[in-house]
Amino acid sequence: METKIINKQDLAKLIDGLISAGARTVAPVKVGQMHLFQEVRSPAEAVFDYFLARRSPKEFLFPQTEPIFSYTRQKDSVKIHPVDMAFPRTVVFGLRPCDAAGPGILDALFAWDYEDKFWFNRREQTAFVSMTCAQADHACFCSSVGLSPDAADTGADLHLTLLDDGQRYFVEAPTGKGKKLVSEFPSLFKPATDSDAAARGSAGEKAKGLITRKLDLSNVKQWLGSHFTDELWERLSAKCIGCGACAFECPTCHCFDFQDEATPEGGVRCKNWDSCCIDNFTLHASGHNPRNIQHKRYRQRIMHKFKYYIDKFGKTLCTGCGRCSRQCPVTLDIAEVLENIAAKAASGS
Amino acid sequence: MSEYDNISNEIRELAAKLLARGEVDVVIGYKPTALPGRTQPAFAYKPEDAREFVFNPLCVSGLPLYLTKAKPEISAKDRIAIVAKGCDVKNIVALQRENQIRREKIKVIGVVCKGVVGKYGRCDGKTEPKPEDLDEKCRYCDVNTPRDYDYLIGEKIESSPQSKEKEFEEINRIEKLSPRERWKFWEEHFKRCIKCYACSKVCPLCYCNRCIVDKTMPRWIDPSSHARGNLAWNIIRAQHLAGRCTGCGECERSCPMDIPLMLLNKKLERESEELFGYRSGYNPHDPIPLAVFREEDDDEFVR
Amino acid sequence: MNSNGNQNIYQPKLIRVIDKIQETPDVFTFKWRFVDEKENEAFDFKVGQFGEFTVFGEGESTFDICNSPTQKEYNEFCCRVVGKVTKALSKVEPGETLGFRGPYGGSFPVDKYKGSNMLFISGGIALPPVRCVIDYCLAKRSDYAGLTILYGARTVDDLVYKYMLKDWGSRPDVKLVTTVDPGGETPDWKGEVGFVPAILEKMNPSRENTYVVLIGPPIMIKISMQVLGKLGFDPGRIYTSLENKMKCGVGKCGRCNVGNVYVCKDGPVFTYSEILALPQEDI
Ligand SMILES: Cc1cc2nc3c(=O)[nH]c(=O)nc-3n(C[C@H](O)[C@H](O)[C@H](O)COP(=O)(O)OP(=O)(O)OC[C@H]3O[C@@H](n4cnc5c(N)ncnc54)[C@H](O)[C@@H]3O)c2cc1C
Ligand code: SF4
Ligand code: SF4
Ligand code: SF4
Ligand code: SF4
Ligand code: SF4
Ligand code: FES
Repeated sequence: METKIINKQDLAKLIDGLISAGARTVAPVKVGQMHLFQEVRSPAEAVFDYFLARRSPKEFLFPQTEPIFSYTRQKDSVKIHPVDMAFPRTVVFGLRPCDAAGPGILDALFAWDYEDKFWFNRREQTAFVSMTCAQADHACFCSSVGLSPDAADTGADLHLTLLDDGQRYFVEAPTGKGKKLVSEFPSLFKPATDSDAAARGSAGEKAKGLITRKLDLSNVKQWLGSHFTDELWERLSAKCIGCGACAFECPTCHCFDFQDEATPEGGVRCKNWDSCCIDNFTLHASGHNPRNIQHKRYRQRIMHKFKYYIDKFGKTLCTGCGRCSRQCPVTLDIAEVLENIAAKAASGS
Repeated sequence: MSEYDNISNEIRELAAKLLARGEVDVVIGYKPTALPGRTQPAFAYKPEDAREFVFNPLCVSGLPLYLTKAKPEISAKDRIAIVAKGCDVKNIVALQRENQIRREKIKVIGVVCKGVVGKYGRCDGKTEPKPEDLDEKCRYCDVNTPRDYDYLIGEKIESSPQSKEKEFEEINRIEKLSPRERWKFWEEHFKRCIKCYACSKVCPLCYCNRCIVDKTMPRWIDPSSHARGNLAWNIIRAQHLAGRCTGCGECERSCPMDIPLMLLNKKLERESEELFGYRSGYNPHDPIPLAVFREEDDDEFVR
Repeated sequence: MNSNGNQNIYQPKLIRVIDKIQETPDVFTFKWRFVDEKENEAFDFKVGQFGEFTVFGEGESTFDICNSPTQKEYNEFCCRVVGKVTKALSKVEPGETLGFRGPYGGSFPVDKYKGSNMLFISGGIALPPVRCVIDYCLAKRSDYAGLTILYGARTVDDLVYKYMLKDWGSRPDVKLVTTVDPGGETPDWKGEVGFVPAILEKMNPSRENTYVVLIGPPIMIKISMQVLGKLGFDPGRIYTSLENKMKCGVGKCGRCNVGNVYVCKDGPVFTYSEILALPQEDI
């Protein structure tokens, strides 16, 4: 892997350079008490000394509301107006390794047989610059799903680790896109020495030490396969109120809905985020709802993420970012659910 | 043992007793979670389940929503006991006022509360939060001792009168802004809304079986999360709670996008009080201002 | 492998309604062709596939293409009025433009059925998705052995495709049994009276060299399955089509996911043994 050093001032210059080059440049920005990924107009807006953005960066590939076409209508004829599927070059800075892992997990879904070009055209245009974590909390469990707070190769194009001196970032370029970014601004990236590499190693160890939540998921999938009905579901998820908070913050939830917004003369169809935990997700027009009670909806969340998606696409649909647990209005902690499942699986019940 | 340990013990004992004697089918309370600074709702069906119950300043979330919509399988059960702080009791009273519950079937385990921790406050859960860590609603609380209960846990305390000036400081400030500035203020906030509906799902008084956002024939609110759709949603949600909202703050606390929904709610609360002398959650028999009609009502706005 | 190049998979093509038939008080058949003639020539689909149909201004809904692909001049779908889009459809008249995406989903293995007896069992509005298979077998009649159709509805009024039933009933090479629920008959009703599973039991069909296509309301399927089980039918030779709620139809939106399948792409056609492997509560 290509490695480099970039110092803080040069990182600011990199952001500046991209903005001047016309790229949509995105970074964590402080909004009230939280951080959100937003387009920045100057490097000063970007905040890298932060924990995790409230919303995952998935919205830069898969926005919450996306017009998919519009149309105009006369009595007997309709004209469809396609939307522009060419997207601006985008560079997202400062995401965490868990967030960087999200898109790679979802590629398989957006590609099987039919390619969602909204996703892939954006994906081609977007580079991710991740950073080693400086904070974690007890909702984080990335290392239990095969990731790590310092991993460079979870999906980012460049990965930065702040070294001990607090001034210089160790740069890793795991992808071609990342290498290109480095070569586009050669003066900003300095060679990395062996001692820099060693410092990066120890910074990484320190980051790993931040993770306090360790789950043993080895038997979870198997247990899920044979426990679609189990007392656990009611017991653990009865309190779920069926909002969209968990799925909408999640870097890997992909469910969406189509909605037409129209007048008699024409309209637009939008693709909007949706969630399996919301009661009308599976509500048929007839009134029949297979998931007619909340714990069945939450069960789908766990089943889909830790069993079905793995069987189908070979990857766990979760990065362990902990957003869903943190933002859940009733503290339905996904790690707690997984711990309970793991315990049941281990005890053979 | 701390004050909260005592309260927790009393709740456990009472809950276990009610369940053991078969006086109730379920007790709704709080239990710990692995996440620091939090607790979670819990349901006890058997006396031994009650062992998990706790009460402390981390017991922020309101439980009355489990009396109605959030848990139809529980609310179908006839006899429920529920742990309730003063503000939660206000929601129970409001639900009773709106004929959503049968009060006589519910045993309210009222808990004297000195305030819970704010969304960004710090508290270890062992002692009461420092003033700066208190939840906003607790600063102006006048129901530290619940106004209605079947059992009361904790020593009764008097709520100290609070300055309305301070409570409505931010609202007064916003009211003085020009319409354009005010518009900008809300636009900045609403543009973050992700239409997750946590604010409505968590509200005990948002109990409609089919929310207006789900109605498609006709479609009242654009479901997409764009400026128009977000604005319509946030305004309609607040309007539908006008004169009914008890100020429990659950919507704002639950909003993952930190939208200051309480500014809207409290503005409407004040209107309702000033215009109709009505405060929701205090009396189960007062007529609801927006649900009564009087001959002498001003109807000039009807054209 | 992707099959859509740089196409927007969510954008429909325009189709025109060329005819509309009211089947029952709340069921309508629509015959349609693509507005763009080139599309009509290029269009092909397999028996049992579905489409996503747009009523512009209202939304999109999933309906089976219920004719056989051997019928080339136009295609058909048949819908029951239940909600927003279907209500709007009920007001659509010939000449109006709709949108279409598809064909999507898997199909009935009609080649595998060759040489076998076919038993079709259907109830209510579920005849259209069975009809595509029936029509196909009739179009290739010599490829198949006996064809038996059992179709029931709540009342005589609720029977769809009455004109087709007449035609099938008059064919010597088709055995047609129609039934209505007790109380649903009219004075001149000549068919059976009784629920589909009961009539099925009475018919006592042979499982020898037989494939079954069974589509209907969940309760009808469930009890018919019990009867078929009693008669010794192998669930692996019984085919059905699931109607989970759908949106995208192309395996992206997650809505139709049940167990390890995305019904829109892995189904909607399944054998009953495949269905039994899915979490039953979610269907
Ligand atoms: C594979 C498949 C084939 C189908 N074939 C037929 C058919 O041939 N004839 C027929 O009458 N019906 C069929 N259905 C059911 C039909 O799709 C729904 O009845 C219809 O979508 C209801 O739409 P609505 O807008 O009137 O209802 P609303 O309640 O207003 O629903 C809004 C939207 O939700 C979705 N939706 C609601 N219910 C269903 C449902 N049961 N299945 C799928 N999506 C739903 C649709 O996108 C719909 O537009 C089929 C469903 C599937 C999945
Ligand atoms: S399920 Fe929860 S922990 Fe997992 S990726 Fe989604 S938000 Fe993060
Ligand atoms: S967890 Fe639910 S909302 Fe998220 S991707 Fe899976 S089915 Fe969709
Ligand atoms: S788990 Fe929590 S965030 Fe997710 S739907 Fe349930 S209540 Fe909402
Ligand atoms: S609107 Fe908000 S503050 Fe008012 S009762 Fe509902 S959740 Fe509580
Ligand atoms: S909780 Fe907040 S983000 Fe969610 S719908 Fe309500 S206002 Fe919008
Ligand atoms: S309908 Fe969207 S995934 Fe099946």
